[in-house]
Amino acid sequence: MDADIVQAARGLLNPRSQRWKIVALVAMASCAVALAVGVLVHRSTFDRSMAIGRERAQNALGPVVDQYRQTGVADPLSVQDPDAMPPALLRQDLEQVGFWYDDRRPDIPWMWAAESVDGHVIAVQMEMGSELRSLQALDRHIVEASLAVLAVVVPLAALAAEPPNRRLRRVARTARRIADGDLDARIGTAGRARDEITDISSAVDSMAGALQERLLTEQRFTADVAHELRTPLMGLLTASELLPESEATDLVRDRVQVLRTLVENLLEISRLDAGAESADHAVVPLDQVVEESVRRAGLQARLTVTGDPVADTDPRRLDRIVANLVANAHRHGRPPVEVAVDGTTIVIRDHGPGFPGELLADGPQRFRTGAAERGHGHGLGLTIALGQARVIGAELTFRNAPDGGAVAVLRLRGRTRPEG
Amino acid sequence: MSDLAATSGPSAPVTVLLVEDDEVIRKTVGMALERYGYAVTSAGDGLTGLELFRDGRHDLLLLDVMLPGLDGIGLCRRVRESSLVPILMMSARGDSLDVVSGLEAGADDYVAKPVDTAVLVARIRSLLRRATFSAAAEEPPKPGAGLIFGDLTIDTDGLEVFRDGEQVALAPTELRLLLEFAANPGIVLDRQTLLRNVWDYGWDGDSRVVDLCVQRLRKKIGAERIETVRGFGYKLRR
Repeated sequence: MDADIVQAARGLLNPRSQRWKIVALVAMASCAVALAVGVLVHRSTFDRSMAIGRERAQNALGPVVDQYRQTGVADPLSVQDPDAMPPALLRQDLEQVGFWYDDRRPDIPWMWAAESVDGHVIAVQMEMGSELRSLQALDRHIVEASLAVLAVVVPLAALAAEPPNRRLRRVARTARRIADGDLDARIGTAGRARDEITDISSAVDSMAGALQERLLTEQRFTADVAHELRTPLMGLLTASELLPESEATDLVRDRVQVLRTLVENLLEISRLDAGAESADHAVVPLDQVVEESVRRAGLQARLTVTGDPVADTDPRRLDRIVANLVANAHRHGRPPVEVAVDGTTIVIRDHGPGFPGELLADGPQRFRTGAAERGHGHGLGLTIALGQARVIGAELTFRNAPDGGAVAVLRLRGRTRPEG
Repeated sequence: MSDLAATSGPSAPVTVLLVEDDEVIRKTVGMALERYGYAVTSAGDGLTGLELFRDGRHDLLLLDVMLPGLDGIGLCRRVRESSLVPILMMSARGDSLDVVSGLEAGADDYVAKPVDTAVLVARIRSLLRRATFSAAAEEPPKPGAGLIFGDLTIDTDGLEVFRDGEQVALAPTELRLLLEFAANPGIVLDRQTLLRNVWDYGWDGDSRVVDLCVQRLRKKIGAERIETVRGFGYKLRR
């Protein structure tokens, strides 16, 4: 529950989340539109006020020029001193009316109109401050309106990004559950319009279905093989027990036991390979379980126990692992075989030649028993021990002791006995 | 095994009905059990097995799971409709589905094939002990005949169980399990202890046997009577 909240918060704050990318994109698009519209409006308003200013200036200039032509006297409100006029205005061809927008003082712009009458330049200037201020007000309104729209659109985008985001998170969660072994987990796309997310959802679902189908086929096959092999073996075993006691009978019984062990080991490996095994946990006294499996293996081993170890594990699988490791130590190593239980770690070592280099490098391989002098066996025991360790979530490692001898270390998942 | 004649104490031999489709197993297991003093009747398929069961009196049923026609699980269920005879299943597939459905159908225990005759006989004996034990022989003696747990009354002399005054029919293993709980009321019993005391298993027992028998018992005496203590086991509620 708490973990869910933490994860949700982390997802919310993650700057790389799709949600924030979509929000950023929407915000950028909105800003671009606002900017483009703003610039266009600004320009056209500016152009219009220029046109109006020019018209006003021309209307003012006309009577002045007419009066000058008729009387030779210019209106005192007009400007006749070329030094007082903006140079850019004078550079124009003033045979016809020329205009100049004078914004050298940004807060008080002027519109100039000038005409040359017999070499004498007459100009008038109109104040454009009110136009400038209304243009500035317009710009401000556009920016304010854009910000207001962004303030609405960005949260809306974040909200709109949430449903697809949630669906994607569901896809990820389901895929993780499938990977963790829950093959019944499905995302489900019923009643949804086809989009990319339903596409990936149905792809994950069909992948899970195919995996499950394959696993079931494998399990069914393993179970069928088990049945086919065990049925005649059972007949053989029971029949061999009915034989009269003799040396030959002992030979037959011995081989039947070898065959039986081999069949069981192979079936166990194929069950482990099929991934069909799951641990059956119980809180057990570790020393007793280990002692019992050493005893039942019928092999000599020196057991040392430190403290009062208790573990939450699958005792039957643990028994398989310990029995296999002890049997392997006897078969391929040399006595004394030592089993040490310390906390949730079990160490099994012998005093033989140690594990072969390739086993240490690649881990146990089925039917590869290393050098011939390491004795006989099918090389399945360690593979099974490793597979079972994986099922109970324990770590099994192999190494050689510095003073000779193979050392197998089994670390169970640490868990102390809960109170109550 | 040294005590070949152990089961042939009473004059009438213990009768076992063996239902197994593999001819060699049927023959050899039959012969082996006869050496241990059991009288064995055998059938090669489920329907014949059911007929034989209805025709005669059998002390124990030894059923293969995979049978032509009516399979072992179906046969087990049909037998349980009318009888509390101990049932031991044999499974060669050994996958949990087989085991679980067998135990759910009312089997008391199961063995995985191939099984040593000695182990098979040990399982059979353990089952028969449950079926034939008397209060005096095995039950921890309790003063007074009736133990009362809520609406549940256990008559430890007559080995009868009543719920709300009505008698409950319990199979031998279920009764044995209930008595084990009743001897330790309110105490949590872990699966290993129950396997050892009820089924006579050591560490090698399959705890699913306990879980499924507890399930069956709950159906008969009320689910709330037996409490699950997660990670440990079960206890009987007073």
